[in-house]
Amino acid sequence: MKRRANLFALVASAFLSISAFAQNVTGVVSDASSGEPLPSVSVKVKGSDNAAITNFDGKYTIKAGNGAVLVFSSMGYASQEASVSGNTLNVSLASSTNKLDEVVVTALGISRDKKSVGYAIQEVGGAEVSKVKDANFMSSLSGKVAGVNIRQSGTMGGSANVVIRGYKSLTGNNQALFVVDGIPISNQINNTGNQQTGRGGYDYGNAAMDINPEDIDKVSVLKGAAATALYGARAANGVILITTKKGTKRNGLGVSVTSGYTVGSVNPDTYVRYQNSYGVGYGQYYGPDSIAGYPTNGYMVAYDVDGDGIDDPCTPTTEDASFGLAFDPNFMVYTWESLYPELSTYGQKSPHVAGANNPLYFFEQAATMNNSVAIDGGNDNGSFRLSATQFSTKGIVPGSSLKRNNFSFSGNLKASDRLTVSTTAQFIQQAGNGRFGTGYDSRNPNQSFRQWFNVGVDMAKQKAAYEATGKNITWNPFGYGYGDDATKPIYSDNPYFSALENRQSDTRNRLIGNMMASYKINDWLDFMGRASVDTYSELQEERTAVGSVEIPGYLRRNRNVTETNIDMILTANKTFGANDEYSLNARLGSNIRRNSVEAIAASTNGGLVVPGVYALSNSVNTPNAPSETAYQIGVNGMFAAASLGYKNFLYVDLTGRQDVSSTLPTVNNTFFYPSATMSLVFSELLDVDAISFGKFRMNYAQVGSDAPAQALADAYNMGTAFGSTSLASAPSTSNNPGLLPESTVSQEAGLEMMFLNNRVGFDVSVYNQTSFNQIMPAKVSSTSGTIFKYVNAGEINNQGVELSLNATPIQSADFTWSTNLNWTKNKNMVVSLFEGAENLQLASVQGGITIEARPGQAYGTIYGTTFIKDAEGRPIVWDMPASYGGVRYLRGGVDMGSKDVIGNINPDWYAGWSNSFRYKNWTASALLDMQMGGNFFSLDTWYGYATGLYDLSAGTNDMGNPVRDLVNDGGGYKITNVAYWDGSTVDGDGNPSGLTVGDYYADMHYYGNSLGYARNANEYHVWDASYLKLREVALNYSVPSSMLGSTGIKGLDVALTGRNLAILWKNNPYSDPEAGLSAGNVQGYQSGAYPAVREVGVNVKLKF
Amino acid sequence: MKKIFTAAAAALVIASCTSDLSSLNVNSKAPEQVPAGALIANSTVTLTDYLTSVNVNLNNFILWSQHWTQTTYTDESNFNYNNRDVNGNTFDAMYATVLRDLNDASKFIEADDKMLEEHKRNQLALIEVMEVYTYHVLVDIFGDVPYSEAIGDDVTPKYDNDAEIYSSLVTRLLAAHGNLGGDNGLGNYDLLYGGDANAWKKFAASLALKLAVRAADVNPSASSVAEAAAAAGVFTSSADGAILGYTSSPPNTNPLWDDLVQSGRADFCAANTFADILNGLSDPRRGTFFRNLDANGDVIGAPYGLASSYALNSQPGDALEDPSKAASLMDYAEVEFLLADAAARGWNVGSSSAADHYAAAVTASIEDWGGSASDAATYLAQTDVAWDATMWKQRIGVQKWIAMYTRGNEAWATQRLYDYPAMNVAVEALIVTPYRMSYGIDEYSLNGTNVAAARGGNDDQMSKVFWDAN
Repeated sequence: MKRRANLFALVASAFLSISAFAQNVTGVVSDASSGEPLPSVSVKVKGSDNAAITNFDGKYTIKAGNGAVLVFSSMGYASQEASVSGNTLNVSLASSTNKLDEVVVTALGISRDKKSVGYAIQEVGGAEVSKVKDANFMSSLSGKVAGVNIRQSGTMGGSANVVIRGYKSLTGNNQALFVVDGIPISNQINNTGNQQTGRGGYDYGNAAMDINPEDIDKVSVLKGAAATALYGARAANGVILITTKKGTKRNGLGVSVTSGYTVGSVNPDTYVRYQNSYGVGYGQYYGPDSIAGYPTNGYMVAYDVDGDGIDDPCTPTTEDASFGLAFDPNFMVYTWESLYPELSTYGQKSPHVAGANNPLYFFEQAATMNNSVAIDGGNDNGSFRLSATQFSTKGIVPGSSLKRNNFSFSGNLKASDRLTVSTTAQFIQQAGNGRFGTGYDSRNPNQSFRQWFNVGVDMAKQKAAYEATGKNITWNPFGYGYGDDATKPIYSDNPYFSALENRQSDTRNRLIGNMMASYKINDWLDFMGRASVDTYSELQEERTAVGSVEIPGYLRRNRNVTETNIDMILTANKTFGANDEYSLNARLGSNIRRNSVEAIAASTNGGLVVPGVYALSNSVNTPNAPSETAYQIGVNGMFAAASLGYKNFLYVDLTGRQDVSSTLPTVNNTFFYPSATMSLVFSELLDVDAISFGKFRMNYAQVGSDAPAQALADAYNMGTAFGSTSLASAPSTSNNPGLLPESTVSQEAGLEMMFLNNRVGFDVSVYNQTSFNQIMPAKVSSTSGTIFKYVNAGEINNQGVELSLNATPIQSADFTWSTNLNWTKNKNMVVSLFEGAENLQLASVQGGITIEARPGQAYGTIYGTTFIKDAEGRPIVWDMPASYGGVRYLRGGVDMGSKDVIGNINPDWYAGWSNSFRYKNWTASALLDMQMGGNFFSLDTWYGYATGLYDLSAGTNDMGNPVRDLVNDGGGYKITNVAYWDGSTVDGDGNPSGLTVGDYYADMHYYGNSLGYARNANEYHVWDASYLKLREVALNYSVPSSMLGSTGIKGLDVALTGRNLAILWKNNPYSDPEAGLSAGNVQGYQSGAYPAVREVGVNVKLKF
Repeated sequence: MKKIFTAAAAALVIASCTSDLSSLNVNSKAPEQVPAGALIANSTVTLTDYLTSVNVNLNNFILWSQHWTQTTYTDESNFNYNNRDVNGNTFDAMYATVLRDLNDASKFIEADDKMLEEHKRNQLALIEVMEVYTYHVLVDIFGDVPYSEAIGDDVTPKYDNDAEIYSSLVTRLLAAHGNLGGDNGLGNYDLLYGGDANAWKKFAASLALKLAVRAADVNPSASSVAEAAAAAGVFTSSADGAILGYTSSPPNTNPLWDDLVQSGRADFCAANTFADILNGLSDPRRGTFFRNLDANGDVIGAPYGLASSYALNSQPGDALEDPSKAASLMDYAEVEFLLADAAARGWNVGSSSAADHYAAAVTASIEDWGGSASDAATYLAQTDVAWDATMWKQRIGVQKWIAMYTRGNEAWATQRLYDYPAMNVAVEALIVTPYRMSYGIDEYSLNGTNVAAARGGNDDQMSKVFWDAN
C-alpha cells in the first residue's frame, strides 16, 4: 500500500511535468543593488516541491515549464516571484534590511540578531560604497546613512569631515571612530593648525581614507553612546565599523577583477563669474590722465618702454585687482607679456582686453584609475582572501596625483573542534604629489583667482610662458619703472610655476592587522583573544622654488603613529526556562590600548643656496631646530555586558566599562560608565498580517573620556637661539594637573517597522545626548598670561531625529524599483562653558571673523561684523567720503563697536534619497544628497568684491549707467530697501535716528567700494550652505551567463557611473557650498575654495 | 573546564591592572624647567620685536604717526585695526609672552637657592624694569589695562586705572633702581647690556624720567620723580641706550627687514604729513629715512590714508633694510628730549639748559641716522628748528616726532603729548589719528565684564589716556 502510494506520486509528478512541457530553466540570481551573484538562494517552483539552490556564482538550474512561477528567497533579501518564459531566467533580489533573522555587526565586532539590539544601527553594503568611487571612501557614505553628516573638502585626496549626531566635543575630536575588523584605526587628520584655520597648507586627508572600498564587505554605523559604550573613551562620536570581505567556502578558487576609469571636470557653476570689462588696477593713481594721447585717467603707468622719449601706457602689473581702465581692443598697451626678455612678446604692445582664457582654464581634466584583483577560497576547515588594489588619480590642478596600493589578506582556520584562529593584514602605500594648496596662501591658485586677480590675464599665455621658460613668469611682477626688480614677482606667482615647481609630496606606509584566536570552552562558553595593530609612518615634504614670491625653502615632516590593542573576551551563551524562553548572552572582557606618536618637522631657513635642491643642508642660514613631538599614552579597560532575552521578543542589555587612562592625573584616572538598552519586538506579539516586523527600542548610556596627551604639566618652548643666546618661552596653552574625566550621557528611543511582506518600512530614532565636564584648552584672556588653558567644564547637548524609509514599490520578475530615504535633523546647543566664559573661540580666521561656541547657541556660530539695522531690520547706510559720493553700510565692530552672530555652520536638516531601478540585467540608480540650512563665510567674495573681479561689479545699473561710474555721475550699485543715516543724528541711546528708507547707490569704482571687505560688514559675505546635489548615478549591465558561454568567465558587469554631476539647487552663486578647508572643528569658512568636480566613469567587474 | 575559565578570568583581570600607566604621557621633548635668563632674553626680544615691527597685524603706529602710509591696502592707515585684531595681538604678545616670561623667570630666580645674592637682586630688579617698560607701553596705547590681577590664575583680571598704574610703575621702578648695580650674572642672556647692572641702573633712571615727563601735565609729583631720576644718572651718550642688536639670520632679524625685504611686499611709502615737515625743514635725514626722493632731494609723500602708487612715491630708506639693524627700547636722543622738556618746565634736572638738551637731542638723532655734527648745526640754525622757549612744546614735539622715526609707538605718544605736529585727516576714515586704541574683540568675548567697566565704560578711540590732558 505504502509502496503503491509512492509510486503513484512519482507517476503523477512525471505526468505533471510532461503536461507543463517541463524544461531545464537556468539563470543567475544577483543582488539588486550591487549586481553581485548571490549563492545559496533557494529557488522553488510555486505550488510544487521542486526546488534548487544557487551555486557560488549565483547560478541555478531547475525544471519548470513555461508559465510556471519560480519563488526565489534568501536570508536578508525580499523574496521574489518570477514566471518562466523560455529557458533562461535571471533574477536580482532586493535586500530587505529589516528582517527578523537579520544579523548585524555591533561593537567589538560582535554579531548579533538585529532584533535584539536596543539602539540605532544602520548598515551600508560594500557594493554601495564602491559603486561610485571616491578617493576618500568616507565621501561615498554621504546621504546613505541617517545621522551621519559628511562634508568633503573638495581637494584631491582631501579629508572628509564625518560627524555623527552633531558636534559633541567643544574643542576635541568630533570625528567618528573607524574600526576595521575589530581594529580601531587612526583617523588622524594630520593637517596643521594653519591649514585648518585657512592660513595655508595642504590637506593631507584623513588617515582612515587608506581603507580600500573594494575590500569593504559591510559598513555598520553605530550612532549613539549605547551602541558604542564598549569602545570606551573614543567612541562618544559614534563608530563606523567596517567589515572587510572574507573568503567563502567554495569549490576551487574565486577570482574577481575590477577595473575602473573615471574622468572629472570642473563644474563652472561653482566658480567665479568674472566681469570682462575693466582691466587691472585699484584706482586712478598710477600715472597721468592721458598717455600717448589716450585718456588713461591715472589707471596706467607712464613709462618710455620703446625709448623714443615718449611715455607709453603700461598696465600696473604690481596690482592684483581689476578696478582699472575699461577694456578697449583698439588701445595698445604694454603688459606683463612685454616685460620678459624670454618671451616672444617682449617689448611688444597688445590690445587692452580681457583675458581670452579665464582662470577656469587652469583646471585640467581629472582622471582616476582603479584596478583590483581578489582571490578567495575556502573549505570546511577555513577560508582565505587575498586582494591587491591599485588606485591612482590625477587632480584638476596641474601636476597633482595621488597613488595608493592596498594589499590585504584575511584567513581563518578551524584548528580543532574548539579552536579557531584567524588573521587579517593590510598593507597600504600611499603617495601624494602636488596636493592642492589650501586657504590664504600663494600655493592655492584660488587665493589669486577668487580674491586678487587681473581679469586681463589670459591663462593660456601664463601656461605658455611657464612651459617655454620653466620660470616664474607671472602676470604680477613689479613691472615698468622698477629697474632690476621689473620682472620680480610681487604678490602672485605664475600659477603653473607654483603648481609644478613649488611641489609637495608625501608618502605613507601603513600596516593594519590582527591575530585572533577563539576557543570554545564548552557549549555555552567561549574565550576570544585578539591582538591588533595599526601603524604607519609618513613623510610630508613641502617645497618653495627659487624665484617664487615666498622665501624659497624646503620643509619635511616625519611622523610615526602606532596603536596596539589587546582584547580578551569571555562569552557565555545560555538559554533557560522550561521552554528555553530565556536567553542569556554575557561577556566579560578587557582591553589594553597603547598609542604612540613620534614626529619631527624641520625646515630650511632664509632660502635655498642651490636652486632645485630640496635638502635641509641646502639652507641659506642655519636651519632652525626642528620641532619634535613624542608621546605614548595608554588606556586599560575592563568591561562586562549581559543581554537577557525573553521568548525572542524582549531583550534587555546591560553593559559597564571601567577605564584607567594615563592622560589623566593618577588620582582621577579611573572612570566607570554603564549603559542599559531594551528591545521589544512587538510584531511577535501582534498578529497583523500587514506588519511584517515591528520593534521598539530604547536605551540610556554614559561614556567617559580622557584627556589629550600631555595636557597635565606645563613645558617650555625652546626658541631658535638669538646669536649665542638661548631663548625659552612659556607655552601658550597652560596645562592643568587637576583634570577629571569627561562624560557623555545619552538617551535614545527608536521604532522600526516593516509592512507588506517587508516591501515598505521605516526606522526612526530620537535621541538626546549631553556631554559635560569637557576637557578643553579654553581660550582665555591673554592678560592672565596664557592664551589657552586646559579646563574641565562645559556642556553641549545634541537632540535629534533620524528617519530612514525603505520601500520596494515595484517588484516583478523583470522590473524592480527600490527606494531609500534618510533624513536627519540634529539640534545642537552649547549649554554652558567654563566659569564666567561667555564664549569659546574655535578659531579666529582671516576676515576678522571667529567660529565660536556660545552658550545658548548651536556649536559653530559664525561671529563677525553686522550691519547696523533699523527697527524693521533694514541695513543702515551712510555717506562715503564726499569725493566718492554714494553710500556704504554702517557696520558693527568697525563703525559702531560690537560684533554679533552672523551665521551657524550646522544645517537645519540633511537628507539622502536613493532610487534603484532594475530591468532585467540592467540596473540604474541615483542618489540625491541634500542639506538645508547652515552657513559659511566666504573670504573669497569678501576680498573678491573689493578687487572688482566678479560680474556684479560691472555692467549697467537700472538707470542704464555703468555701475562703475561715480554715483554723482549716475553710476553705482543699487542697494535696495535700506535706511539712510546722515551720520550724526542719534536717539537717546546713541543709536542712529532720523533715518530715510529707500534705495541708494553704492560707489563701485574702486577697491574701497561698499560690497567688498574694505567697507562692508562680514554679514554680507555669509552665505546659505543649502544644496541639493545629484551625488551619484550608476547604470549597470550584468552580461547574461548565456552570453558568456564557455569563456570561463562566470560574471561580467559593466557600469557607467557619475559622481557630483550636478548641483540641482543652491543659494550661493560662486562656489560649492560644501567646499571648506579640511575636516575638523573649523567649518563654515571658504578661503580659496576649489570648484566642484563632476566625475564620469566606467567600471568593469569580472569573475572567474 | 572550570580551570580554564578561572585562568581566563584571571588573565583578564591581570592584563588590565598590572600594566604601569604612570610612565606613559611624559613629554620627553620639552623641559618643565628652563634657565631664567633664557626667559628674560626671550621677553627682551619679543618686546623689541613688537616695538620695531611694522607688520600690519601687529603694530600700525608708524602709520598712525603718519610717518608712512600704505600704497594699496590702506585699511590700517585708516585706523582699521579690528579687522586684523591688532589690539588683540598686542595684548597677546605683551601679556602672554613678555610679561608671562618675565613672571616665570622671576619665579625660577626666587626658587633658586644657589644663586649669588648679587645676581638674584639684580635679576629680579631688571625684571621689574622690563615689566614697568612693558606696562607703560600698554597704558600708552590703551589707557586702563589689567595690571594688579594680570598674569596669574585669574583668567578674568580686572582693568586698573591708567594713572594709578603709572604711579605704581614709578614706585616699582625706583625700588628696582635701588637694587641695581654691579654684575647681574646674566652674561649673554642680558641682550641689552651683557650683564652690566650699572647700565641697567641708568636705564631704570631714564625710564623713570620718561614716565615722569609723560605724566607731567597731570601729576604734580612728576617733577620730583624726574629730578630724582636725573640726579641718579640717566643716559649720557648713545652708547648708554637700551638697544638690541639683531642677528643677520632669521628668525632673529630686525622686524623691519622681515616686513620690508623678506616679505617681498611693496606696501609702504612716505606719508605727506611727514614728507611735508621734513621737506619744509630741509631735514638732513631725508635721504636716509627714504629713498626715491625727487630731483630736489625732497621726500615724495602720498596723501595720508589714500591709496597711491608705490613707484611714484618715496619708499622707506635702504638703511631700514639691514637685517641686523639694531633697535632701541630707549636711546640717548630720547633722554635728551625728556631732559629738554623737564628743563623747559623749570624742573631741576641738572645744569644744562633746555636749549642745550634740545640741541643735544637733535644732534644725537641726526648722528644716529648717519649725519654729521655740522649737518646738525646747520639744521639747528634754521629758525623753524632752533630752540624757542616760547614754543618749546612745538619744537620738542616736532623734533622728537621726527627723531622717533621707526619707533612708531613713541612717535605717536610724542605727538599726543605735545599735540605737535598737527595730524592730517586720514582720507577715508575722515578722522585724525585716534588718541588711543580700543580694546580687542577677545577681551570682549573672554573678559567681558571687566573690559566693559574699564575707563568708566568709555572705549572710544578718540578719548584720551590719562597723561594726554592738554
